[in-house]
Amino acid sequence: MNEYTYADIEIGTKHDFSVTVTEDMMDKFLSVSGDCNPLHCSTEYAQEQGFQDRVVYGMLTASLYSTLVGVHLPGKFALFQELETNFRNPVFIGDTLTVSGEVTEKRDNFKRITIKSTIKNQNGKTVSKATIKAGVLK
Amino acid sequence: MTRAEVFEKLTEVFQDVFDDESIELSETTTASDIEDWDSLMHINLVSATEDEFDLEFEMKDILELKNVGTFVDLILRELGE
Repeated sequence: MNEYTYADIEIGTKHDFSVTVTEDMMDKFLSVSGDCNPLHCSTEYAQEQGFQDRVVYGMLTASLYSTLVGVHLPGKFALFQELETNFRNPVFIGDTLTVSGEVTEKRDNFKRITIKSTIKNQNGKTVSKATIKAGVLK
Repeated sequence: MTRAEVFEKLTEVFQDVFDDESIELSETTTASDIEDWDSLMHINLVSATEDEFDLEFEMKDILELKNVGTFVDLILRELGE
């Protein structure tokens, strides 16, 4: 886990990491969220709707922004405050997602940073983008 | 910029940040008068005001704000009016 303080961070500070989506992650998300929509739970239903397979929950993909902020940038001293995001393309089990984030703004009086982030799959396709605002506690 | 002009611009900022065009401000308006004006929205409000007026407030000045009237006082002071 990184431990960036507010002073350590500069405009342009970047981090990225990758995660492969598994069926176990989908099962755990279902258990936590209770979202049993068949688009995420039934291959047959998803294919009837025109998808190659069950679609990974958008919010499961978005949970990786929590990892970005809470573990990598800034890490330990993060206080996640705001997230604006979208889901641009479907994600499927087995996809490898790369989460990239870059600091684009610093507000000294509130020790707050703005991070622009993208999530891309193994083919380089953007599956999600986000603007994140986070406080830095130290 | 006059006090009335600052008030008008600040009202637009409030309306934009809270996404509510019905918001009307007075000198004595406080957070208890506007639903959703919590600590996070306060940060957004101050940041949006800084952007609108091209100012940067010191934290000690932000902490001393009592109501919209004192916020307008601060803006005018920082603008050098």
